[in-house]
Amino acid sequence: MTSSRNRKKIKDRDTELIEAINSGRHEQFQELVQRYEQKVYNFGLRMCGDVYDAEDVVQDTFLNVFKYLKDFRYETKFKNWLYRIATSTCIKKRRRSKFAPERELSLEEFFPDEDAAGPNEIPDWAQLPLDQVLNEELSQHLKAAILSLPEKYRVIVILRDIEGFSTAETSQILELKRSNVKVRLHRARLFLRDQLKGYFEHGT
Amino acid sequence: MAPDEHDHKHCVAMFEKLSEYIDGELDRASSREIESHIEACAACKTCLATLKTTVHLCGSIAANPVPEALSQKLRTFLLENQSSGGRPTAFKR
Repeated sequence: MTSSRNRKKIKDRDTELIEAINSGRHEQFQELVQRYEQKVYNFGLRMCGDVYDAEDVVQDTFLNVFKYLKDFRYETKFKNWLYRIATSTCIKKRRRSKFAPERELSLEEFFPDEDAAGPNEIPDWAQLPLDQVLNEELSQHLKAAILSLPEKYRVIVILRDIEGFSTAETSQILELKRSNVKVRLHRARLFLRDQLKGYFEHGT
Repeated sequence: MAPDEHDHKHCVAMFEKLSEYIDGELDRASSREIESHIEACAACKTCLATLKTTVHLCGSIAANPVPEALSQKLRTFLLENQSSGGRPTAFKR
């Protein structure tokens, strides 16, 4: 068993700043907020879908960071620790829908139906350069599709495909097994792919 | 995989690994297996192409700017807490 005392201290671009804040230079906290306020705001926006909720997420996240930064043990990157706080803040924010069970997305529902009529060619939208595809309307459609995902899938696709965390980092942030992160990510992507397919098929 | 060896079960197995393949998280042997399957299976080839585009589109969503009022609120909160010796108080909503 590894004792927490023996764990290697992880140094990253924020380490020096955090050490300064924890040594009493509280005015440096402003710098930390500036580095991450936009990240946390957009994470809140993607998770909650509402600007006011996103603002609350930013405030509550930084309030908790401010409260608990002295307990930060450098056992993970600061950014990962921050996102763990932001994630639990978002989940609390969405608790009002706790009675709605989270639907399990099955692989089968996204698997192409062999009997279905239609060509197997790669559709145009998947072949066009991205800058020609992602217009404002499609961007809104994609954001709405992400929001319609059950929370346990949404958080993973946001962390992995929007925020750019690795599987290992996502598993650390969410305290989930890597295999679970991978399975949920795949199902979430298939769901989004299906929603995009629908968008292009309807010619909107 | 030769087209005559193609079967639905194999497709399901490949389909399950497509995200890991896109993310470069598969070992070389599994990646090769997918690549040769894709060559022989138009349905899986389409799935891979559309899935890849979906992932890229997610990564291309532009970030929204932080509302100025929120940044101001954060600055005020920090100034108040510096003057109170770093003890955090609640935000004024």
